[in-house]
Amino acid sequence: MASPRISRRRLLASTAALATAAAATRAEAQSTTRLRLYWWGGTERAERTNKTAALYTQTHPAIAIAGETVGWGDYWTRLATQAAGRNMPDLVQMDYGYIFDYARRGALLPLDPYLGKELDLSGFDQASIDGGKVDGKIFGVSLGLNSTSLVYNRQAFEAAGLPPLDWPVTWADFAKRMAEATKAVKTPGVWASSDAGNSGPALEVWLRGRGHEMYTADGKLGATASDMADWFGYWADMRAAGACAPPEVQALDKSDVDTALISLGKSLISFANSNQLVGYQAVNKSKLDLAMYPTSSTTKSGQYLKPSQMLSIAATTKSKEEAVKALSFFVADIEAGKLLGVERGIPASAAIRKAIAPSLDAMATRMSSYIAEIGPRVSPLPPPPPKGAGEILALLVRTNESVGFKRTTPTAAGTTFIKEATDILARG
Amino acid sequence: MRHNKSILSHALLCAASLVMLYPLLWMLASSFRPNTDIFTSISLLPIPPDTAAYPRGWRGLQVPFSRFFLNSAVIAILSVIGNVLSCSLAAFAVTRLRFPGRDLCFALMLGTMMIPYQVTLIPQYILFLHLDWVNTILPLVVPKFLAADAFFIFLLAQFFRGIPRELDEAAVVDGCSPWRIYWNIMLPLSLPVLGTVAIFTFIFTWDDFFGPLVYLTDIEAFTVQLGLRGFLDSSGTSDWSAMFAMACLTLAPVLVLFVLFQRTLIQGIATTGLK
Amino acid sequence: MRPSRLHAGHAFLIPWFVGFFGLTLGPALASLYLSFTNYDLLQAPGWVGLSNYVRILTADAKVAESVRVTLLYVVLSVPFKLGFALAVAMLLNQGMRGLPLYRALFYLPSLLGASVAIATLWRQVFSGDGLLNRVLALFGIQGASWVSDPDTAIYTLVALSVWQFGSPMIIFLAGLRQLPRDIYEAAALDGATAWYQFRHITIPLLTPVIFFNLVVQTIDAFKAFTPAFIISGGTGGPINATLFYTLYLYQEAFGYLRMGYAAALAWLLVLAIGAITAAAFLTARRWVHYEA
Repeated sequence: MASPRISRRRLLASTAALATAAAATRAEAQSTTRLRLYWWGGTERAERTNKTAALYTQTHPAIAIAGETVGWGDYWTRLATQAAGRNMPDLVQMDYGYIFDYARRGALLPLDPYLGKELDLSGFDQASIDGGKVDGKIFGVSLGLNSTSLVYNRQAFEAAGLPPLDWPVTWADFAKRMAEATKAVKTPGVWASSDAGNSGPALEVWLRGRGHEMYTADGKLGATASDMADWFGYWADMRAAGACAPPEVQALDKSDVDTALISLGKSLISFANSNQLVGYQAVNKSKLDLAMYPTSSTTKSGQYLKPSQMLSIAATTKSKEEAVKALSFFVADIEAGKLLGVERGIPASAAIRKAIAPSLDAMATRMSSYIAEIGPRVSPLPPPPPKGAGEILALLVRTNESVGFKRTTPTAAGTTFIKEATDILARG
Repeated sequence: MRHNKSILSHALLCAASLVMLYPLLWMLASSFRPNTDIFTSISLLPIPPDTAAYPRGWRGLQVPFSRFFLNSAVIAILSVIGNVLSCSLAAFAVTRLRFPGRDLCFALMLGTMMIPYQVTLIPQYILFLHLDWVNTILPLVVPKFLAADAFFIFLLAQFFRGIPRELDEAAVVDGCSPWRIYWNIMLPLSLPVLGTVAIFTFIFTWDDFFGPLVYLTDIEAFTVQLGLRGFLDSSGTSDWSAMFAMACLTLAPVLVLFVLFQRTLIQGIATTGLK
Repeated sequence: MRPSRLHAGHAFLIPWFVGFFGLTLGPALASLYLSFTNYDLLQAPGWVGLSNYVRILTADAKVAESVRVTLLYVVLSVPFKLGFALAVAMLLNQGMRGLPLYRALFYLPSLLGASVAIATLWRQVFSGDGLLNRVLALFGIQGASWVSDPDTAIYTLVALSVWQFGSPMIIFLAGLRQLPRDIYEAAALDGATAWYQFRHITIPLLTPVIFFNLVVQTIDAFKAFTPAFIISGGTGGPINATLFYTLYLYQEAFGYLRMGYAAALAWLLVLAIGAITAAAFLTARRWVHYEA
């Protein structure tokens, strides 16, 4: 009967340990300022971020940084819950698709008053700073730049004797080359391209090539029903030609790295973001490379540089200045930049870019060179997405599926898409 | 005749077991595979087996995985004690005692099962925040001691109703208090179902993800399920092999517990000679 | 005697009272209040009267779609799951060797619960070139892309639910173990067939447990969320084919920050489940037999 007693004692001990740990953090909070830092990401990001936080607290003994992290899939539910309880972490990693929701509802701290004081962004160019603005005020600072990018299986392209996807590839070219590529790889169940008719970023690049924005400056839809009919029609033709995956295969893709058709070995191309190259390569045996999205003009792309992730501060933080100082360290300090690397994207500060260049590995170098080489071809930031933009992305997936599964025609889909999207925007 | 029947039963069960076993074997196989193979291979034999994911997973999240095991075990064991005690008390009251409002109480209990947690999550979070319980295990454990899980009250109630009333009526005649009837008659006669409550509670809390996600923010306080998710980031880089490796380890204690506990339960019933 | 019993009833319920009034009722009432507001989690809620309910009942096409998906799921998954669970429990109740092992094996899928591994597993089994179709191909059958075809996706979720029949199975087993042996022995002496024993002894004596499993599984199936959330990646796709009611509710609450609207959706669901459960309890008087 000895073992249950031991385990009970152990149980008590561990409960006590939990309690003392909680008490300790509380006691600590009285003598030092405790900042909570929350981010999404995998294990590598956690390691880099924690090292950076440790470096900061070494030089700032009055500050304690408590890291909190979960994966992307669970991140927003927890953040929304904490925000509802006015218990948001002080420093919050933000995404371009969410910052508008949080900033416009007053959950984030405007950073303009601190600029040039606690917040030192002197190494940033104006475009990078503007990427974190919502309705004219700075609510987030770039942790790294990225742009949309094709991630493609360059090795398979070469093995099949296909030329790499070097700039520029027009949309018409793309259709033709993908149809050929599917034939050239000669593997049943593998298609050259994924069906990107469901991709908001791809649609946006395509629309901008036609001189339209996804959303106008006053928050209306930029696309017309005939734009959308052409878009759905383009992908219907792609499917018919075997250039991209059929709908029942495409539906396996939940628009994340792990379910993208290229990761499942069912396509050679994914419509992705440049900073995701590492993630894609981690689950792929063949050598992957980056290429720009197809384009309408051979001199200018509808793509743009944007912060891949930002750091924001909760409006409810009790230590505004301390939080801003820590934020400034994370985004603009050279030593911090060395620790963080390009794991979140290419640093916006030119000084950091220069400082870390020698230490980058092959993939990080490729991401950097991609950002550098597309610089002259990209367009400016589009107008900010209105409330409801996230829902419209889901509508796009659903509508493209309806066309793919032949529940509707591209023309009819164009009309219903515009109608439903307009309803979503009106509801806000 | 009886022998043949038994062979047939075994054959049926073996075939069905294969379908049941496949996911575990596949998970095991995946844990011995490099990340680059996981999504493209459906075979159950990782060749050559790659064991790197185990040490990588164990140490991968700054805090060793043993810490998460301990945290989960503390929560699960406390939950088991809480649920067995509080739910059996409540079930005894609504099935064996008469008092005003009894049926209303039972209806309210069932009613709490019907509300989707997605909409009570936020108000409950705010409540626990005011109690200063967030980032402790209290929001996960205290409700178990307060019979918050109506599923188990209902389960116990159904089994209590099956125990002949003559037993406690006789006890009342003998002058037994309700407390003694509960403790000396109902609980001993309900061991199989109490065991079921204990096992289910353990497994449900061990598997619970949403509660810990919202209430435990400090990585030191993570449960195994939070730890497992820590390997995955669907927007970027995930370590699936490490996740599968740790998932297999996470499953082991529950499985072992299940097999052991089931055996003692059956023996327990046989020796008490119920009915 | 009477007064002390009366006190005892309340005394036994003290933990539940504390929990109900302290932890459960408040948040439930709060969500009921929020269902009449435009609460978005980040700003203070504003009263909008019945407009959430009006929109749900008259102007929201997704509600109709999600109700259809959910009803189909309930009607298919509950009977199959319970039938399967009872059959296996009967098999396992024959006192054969290796019983704990089998029991653990059959509970195994339920142990995996809704872990993320399930999503990957389901895709590898039920996609166009998945395991199932490879097995079917041996028999010359060309299978669909089950998990990603809008006509069949919901059935893969039903399959998942039936496959995870562990909990009702264990509960059936616990019920079977409590059945009095002597009745069977008497029936066997009278020459009753196995089917007769099953139909006229096992089933009637097991009705409290059957009733429990039926009610609980039905409530659970109406509230089913995690399977679709995991397998469809939270989208409810393809083309809303797996858009469970609670998944839609979750999308509204946490995806689009319309917690007020989601609360209204939730309370309509509570009403519907409540009505069905009440009906089950009313009919139970006719077919559920307590005590032997």
